[in-house]
Amino acid sequence: MEGFHQIFSEFFGTVGVVDSIRVTLIMSFFSTLIASALGIFLGLLLEKRQFPGKRAVIRVNRTLMGAPPVVIGLLAYMLLRKKGPLGDLRWVFTIQGMVFAQVLIITPIICGMVYSYAVRTAPAIRAFARTMGADARQTGWLLLREMKQELYFAVVSGYGRSISEVGAVFLVGGNIKNNTRTMTTAISTLKGAGDYYEGVFLGVILMIMAFTVQTLADHFRKEGGDENL
Amino acid sequence: MKIFNLRKQMGDFCLQIDRMELAPGVVHGLVGSNGCGKSTLSKLIMGILTPDGGRIDYEGLTPRDLTMTSQKPYLLHDTVYQNLIYPLKVRGIRPDEAEADAWLARCGLEGKKNQYARSLSSGEQQKLSFIRALIFHPSFIIVDETMSNLDPDSTELFEEMILEQQRIRPVTWLIISHQLIHIRRLCGCVHFMEKGRQIAQGTPEEILLYPQHPAIRSFLASTEVFYRDPEAPGAGKAAAGREEEPERPAGNGRDGER
Repeated sequence: MEGFHQIFSEFFGTVGVVDSIRVTLIMSFFSTLIASALGIFLGLLLEKRQFPGKRAVIRVNRTLMGAPPVVIGLLAYMLLRKKGPLGDLRWVFTIQGMVFAQVLIITPIICGMVYSYAVRTAPAIRAFARTMGADARQTGWLLLREMKQELYFAVVSGYGRSISEVGAVFLVGGNIKNNTRTMTTAISTLKGAGDYYEGVFLGVILMIMAFTVQTLADHFRKEGGDENL
Repeated sequence: MKIFNLRKQMGDFCLQIDRMELAPGVVHGLVGSNGCGKSTLSKLIMGILTPDGGRIDYEGLTPRDLTMTSQKPYLLHDTVYQNLIYPLKVRGIRPDEAEADAWLARCGLEGKKNQYARSLSSGEQQKLSFIRALIFHPSFIIVDETMSNLDPDSTELFEEMILEQQRIRPVTWLIISHQLIHIRRLCGCVHFMEKGRQIAQGTPEEILLYPQHPAIRSFLASTEVFYRDPEAPGAGKAAAGREEEPERPAGNGRDGER
């Protein structure tokens, strides 16, 4: 038992598992939160408004949905580095910088998904709200309520992308132990050192975390009246 | 409500209503062939579509005084009860559960109060949509093909409810229907549309029994009309096999009948 404890302590100490879990949770939570707010707002706005160049905007967004995270990470790094336009923020090699990069990656995904859903459902919801005498605020709330299933999938997709991302957080965060090392960058580090078993162990923890979040989200949906769960 | 020079271009189709008057407290019928602009006009009245020109004088009515039901109603992802009381919630009115139950019972939905609304049959969904439009006592109600594809009992129920409403508290109705039997039974005024324009307005007798316009005669000839007078000008094959004209119920806004 003592030997097992020693192995465990050494392992935790070597790669900073506890801190990598903490950093992963903070980073994925805040990046998903900010990207969800932005993505849902922009997706609904894109569906509602007609403006010149709308098709081009949609196309650019679709391109960004599939953009390699490492490229976005590089862009975020260029923006945040000391001589970059956002250098004054001093966000390079910080969790804030990693959240910034993640928001750039996830927002187009959530925005694109919300737009696709909204094109199909929002006009009918708006028309219904109008026939019921709902004002702009009530219509907005109704849109969110009626599209909650679709929004849920968009947010969960964004969260999945956030928690599994390596390249961008590596570039912007720097994989600093006990500081900006996430579970995915820790796994990458362990693999580099040939510690495959520890890497698998961290991967299992990552999967358990994803499962827990999914279960909590499903519980929330069930309370919201989804009978398919 | 008065409509002046209302115009809406939608692709090749153009709606152009030079003048239309919907007298308050009257049941109006809007008739015309498919694609003539009936639903477009109703959406313009509701503010769902924005006109390209012209104006609608609502004569003091606000968007909260207007409502519309359609053949394929939108139902919330919620229970039957929550759907029913939604317009009350929008207006900040505390729902009276007993009143809501009475509305549901009237439509035979009392046992389905807590059922997921979208699991109802299409007829039940139409009934729910209809009573949802009535529960907050609007002043202007558009019924867009709501009575289509309903069984005779349900149709009768809808007609009863409209006429009852007119007896208790007359409101303005605009009933869009291809079933001229409803139009004749319910309406005090009929508006006939053709290719985006109103080409005639008058009593059901004037429009449906003694049509002057060739387009109306053609429409009636192609429609199954049971109540046409074979002696009337323009009466054609549609009059064949007609039945006795039923006694017209009171309360539809016609002169001397209310």
